[in-house]
Amino acid sequence: MNHSVSIEIGSQIIMLLAALMLVLQLLLVVQRMLLINIRLFALQSLMLTAIATVVAYYYNATHVYIVAVLTLVGKVIFLPWLLNRLVRRINIVQEIEPLFNAPTSMLICGGLTLLGYLVARPFTTLHKLGNNTLAIAITLLLTGFFLMINRRKAISQVLALLTIENGVMLAAVALTTYGMPLVVELGIFFDVMVAVMVLGILVYRIRESFDSMDTSKLDQLKG
Amino acid sequence: MDITPTTLLPLTLMGYVLGCAAGLLFLRHEKLANLCSFGCATLAALCGTVACVMSLTAGPAAAPIQLQLLPTLIPYVQFTVRLDPLSAFFGLIVSLLGFALSLYSLGYARGFYGRKNVGVLGAFFNLLLLATTLVVMADNAFFFLMVWEIMALSAYCLVSFEHEKPETRSAGVLYFVMSHIGTGCIMLGFLLLFQASGRVLGNYGPDAYSFAGFHALTGNVSWLSSGSRDAAFLLFLIGFGVKAGIVPLHTWLPAAHPVAPSNVSAFMSGVLIKTGIYGMTRVFFDFLGTPPMWWGVTVLSIGTISAVLGVLYALMQHDLKRLLAYHSIENIGIILMGFGASLMFLHMNHPLLATLALIAGLYHTINHAVFKGLLFLGAGAVLHATHTRDMEQMGGLAKRMPQTAFFFLVGAVAISALPPLNGFVSEWLTYQSLLQGFGTTDSLLRLMFPIGGALLALTSALAAACFVKAFGITFLAQPRSEAAAQAHEAPLTMLLAQAVLVAACVFLGLFPTVFLQVLDPLTQQLTGLQISQQLTLANGLVLSGVNQNGGTVSTLGITLLGLCLLSIPFVLWLVFARRAKTRIGPTWDCGLKGLTPRMEYTATGFSKPIRMIFKALFRPRREVQREYDFSPYFTTSIRFEAHVEEVFETRIYRPLNRWVLWASRRMRALQAGSLQAYLIYIFITLLLLLLFAL
Repeated sequence: MNHSVSIEIGSQIIMLLAALMLVLQLLLVVQRMLLINIRLFALQSLMLTAIATVVAYYYNATHVYIVAVLTLVGKVIFLPWLLNRLVRRINIVQEIEPLFNAPTSMLICGGLTLLGYLVARPFTTLHKLGNNTLAIAITLLLTGFFLMINRRKAISQVLALLTIENGVMLAAVALTTYGMPLVVELGIFFDVMVAVMVLGILVYRIRESFDSMDTSKLDQLKG
Repeated sequence: MDITPTTLLPLTLMGYVLGCAAGLLFLRHEKLANLCSFGCATLAALCGTVACVMSLTAGPAAAPIQLQLLPTLIPYVQFTVRLDPLSAFFGLIVSLLGFALSLYSLGYARGFYGRKNVGVLGAFFNLLLLATTLVVMADNAFFFLMVWEIMALSAYCLVSFEHEKPETRSAGVLYFVMSHIGTGCIMLGFLLLFQASGRVLGNYGPDAYSFAGFHALTGNVSWLSSGSRDAAFLLFLIGFGVKAGIVPLHTWLPAAHPVAPSNVSAFMSGVLIKTGIYGMTRVFFDFLGTPPMWWGVTVLSIGTISAVLGVLYALMQHDLKRLLAYHSIENIGIILMGFGASLMFLHMNHPLLATLALIAGLYHTINHAVFKGLLFLGAGAVLHATHTRDMEQMGGLAKRMPQTAFFFLVGAVAISALPPLNGFVSEWLTYQSLLQGFGTTDSLLRLMFPIGGALLALTSALAAACFVKAFGITFLAQPRSEAAAQAHEAPLTMLLAQAVLVAACVFLGLFPTVFLQVLDPLTQQLTGLQISQQLTLANGLVLSGVNQNGGTVSTLGITLLGLCLLSIPFVLWLVFARRAKTRIGPTWDCGLKGLTPRMEYTATGFSKPIRMIFKALFRPRREVQREYDFSPYFTTSIRFEAHVEEVFETRIYRPLNRWVLWASRRMRALQAGSLQAYLIYIFITLLLLLLFAL
C-alpha cells in the first residue's frame, strides 16, 4: 500500500473515532445515572486508546503504543472500576437536578462545539493529521468544563475532570505525534491518576462529614 | 588524585550535601549533628576556597571549567556549572566566609544544646552554603533561578530558626515576601533576555537561556537599541537590589539580620546580599552590553543614597546586630557607587577608568564580606556571652573577652576605612575613580562624581563615629548589667574563625597589589582590560591611581611608619624618664563615692549630636516623665523614651501595606465558598481568552 494513501486512511479513522468521542461526551452531559456515566466515560477512553493505536500504527511512532496501553489499563479498566466501587460504597445512584436541564445543556454544548471549531480554524492548515481533531479536542475540553459546572455531586465532577483530560490527551496524541515527548504524556497521565485517587478519598470524606456529596454545601467551610 | 579545581569543586558540593544529610540523620544526637554537619561544611568550604583561588590564579589564558552535575533528566533543564573568573571570585567570597562561619558554628551551635534542634540548623546551613555556591556558578537561567530559590528558602528557614519569638516570625515573613518580589523581577528579566537571545539564535532551545547565549547578545545591534533592554535593566536592578538591600528596598535587612542566629546573620550580611551584587555584575557587565548614560547615573545615585542613609540609620541603633545590618546597606551603597561610576565610564568610552571603578566595587565586595563577617562573629560571641543584643546592657567586655574585643576592633577599623586595613584600600580606589571622573565629560552630569565623592567622605566619617560608639559602649568602661559582668571569653573554634577573617583583613589591607593581580582575569572578562600593572608601583609596595594626577598610597608603608612613630615615646621614656617616680592613684570621680556604670556615656547620648544635625531626616521624638516629692530639683524617678522615625517604613511601606489589605478585603467578595462559582470564573476567563485569540 502506498504511504500517502495509508496516511489518508489513518486520518479518516482518527476523525471517525474522535467524532464518536464527542458523541459520547454529549451523552454524558444529558445522562444522570452515575453508573451509566462511568460506563460512558470508559467507552470514551476506549476510543482514545483506539486513536492512539491508529496513530502509532500509521505513523510508526512506537512510543504512542505506550500511551495506548496506559490509557487502556488506567482509564478503561482501573479508574472506572475504582469509581464504580466508590459509587456502590456511598450508595448514590443518580445526580439530583443539575443547574441546567437537558435541553438547555444540549444547546449550550452546541454553542461550545461551534466555538471549538471557530478556535481551531486558524490551524486547519495542519496537513499532518485530521484537522477536525483539534476542534473536537477543544470541544471536549470546553464541554467537560461545562459538565463540571453543571453537576453538583463531587463524583460527577471527577468524571468531568477526566473527560477534560481525555480532550487534552486527544490533542496531544493526535496532533503532535512527533512534537510531544513521551515524558509529558506520562506526566499528564500520572497526574490525573493521582488526582482521581485523592479525589476519591476526598469524596468519601465529604460524604462522611456532610452526609452528602453535594459540593455546594462546602460554602459552610468559609470562615 | 591531583588537586585541580575540576576535582575540588565536586568535592566541595558533595561535602555540603553530606553535611546536610548528617544534620538530618542525627536529629536526635545534637553533639554528633553539630560535629558532623558543621565539620563537613568546614572541610567542603576549605576545598571550595582552594578551588576558587587556584582557578583565579591560573592566569587569564586558562579556559573556564565547565561541569555537568546531573544528567539531563527533563528536556531543557541542564544542571551545568561554569567557573569563569567572575564566578570564581564570588565563589571565593562564599567559600572563604563559609569556611570561617562553619568553624565558628562548631562552637556557636553549642549555645543551642537542649533548647533548639542543632541538626536542623546544620542541615539548613549546609543547604544554604550549597545553594549559594551554585548560584554564583550556575551556567543557565533555569538552574540559576532554581538554586536562587533554594538559597532564599533555606535562608528563610534559618532566619526563623528561633520561631518561638514573634519578632523573629514577622522578620522571617518580611524577608520571604521581599525576596519573592525580587525573584519575580529577576524571572521577568531573564524572560526578556531569553526572548531576545532566542530571536538572535533562531531557536528557543537550551542555548537561548544559557549564560553564553545571553552574553552573545552584547554584539547584537538591534538588541542594544531595544526598549526591552532598558526594561531588563530595571527589572534586574530591582530584583537583585532587593537581595542586596539597596534603599528603598532594604527594609527586610535590618529586620532579618538581628533575629537570625549569629552565624547565619554573618552569612547573610557577608555573603547572601553579595549574591545580589554578583547578579548585577553578571547582568550589567556581561549580558547587557554598552550601557546608556542613565543606567550609570541611576546606579550611582542609588549607591550614594544607600551609603549615606545606611550609615545615618546605623548611628541611631543600640541593638548591636541591627547596627551592623544597617552598615551592610551602607557598604552595598559604596559597592554600587563603584559600579555606577564604572557604567558611566563605559558609556563615555573610558575603559581604563571603568575598569578602575569596577575593581573598586569588587574589591569592596570581598572586603565587606570579610570585615562584616568578622564583626557579626564578634557580635555573636558577645551575644553568646551576655545573652543580649542591647548595647546599653553591655560595657566592660574588653576585660572579660580580650580576644573577641581585639578582633572586633580590627573589624571596626577596617569598616571605618582607616588605613592600613582593607576597607581603606577599596574606598581609596573608589575615591580615585570618582575624582578622576570629573574630567571625563563636559556635561553637567560630571558633577555627580565630586558630589558622590563628598558624600562618600561623609559616609566614612559617620561610619567611624558609629564604630567608636559600637566599640566604646560595648567593650569599654564598666559593665552596665549583671549579664555583662558575668561574661566569659568565647570557645576556641569561635576565636579561630575570627582570627581567620582578621588575617584576611590584614592581607587585603597590606598587600592590595597582590590581590589586584587576581582580579586581572576578571576585568579582562568584563571590560577587556588588565590594569593591575598600572596600579602597581615599586614592585607592588605602592598602590597608585591610573594616571599622573591620581595619588599613590602604600598601606604597608603607613603601617611601618606607624610602628616607628609608636616606638618613639618608649625610646624617649627609656632614655630620659626611666628613673622618674611613678605614682598610682584613683580616678577622679567628682567627689562622689566611686564611679558607677550609671555615669557612663550611653549609646543614645553618644549619637545625640548627629541626631540633632539630621533632625529633618530622623524626626526624633522624646518623652520625659519625672516624678518628684517636694521640688523638681529632687527627682525620685525619671522615665525617658526616645524614638527615631524610619522614613521608608512610615512613608512608603505602611501606606502600601494598608492599601494591599484594603484591596484584599474588597477581593474577598469573590471568595463565595461555592465550587460552582469558582468553576464559572475559570470557565468564563477561558472563554474570553479563546474569543480574544480569534
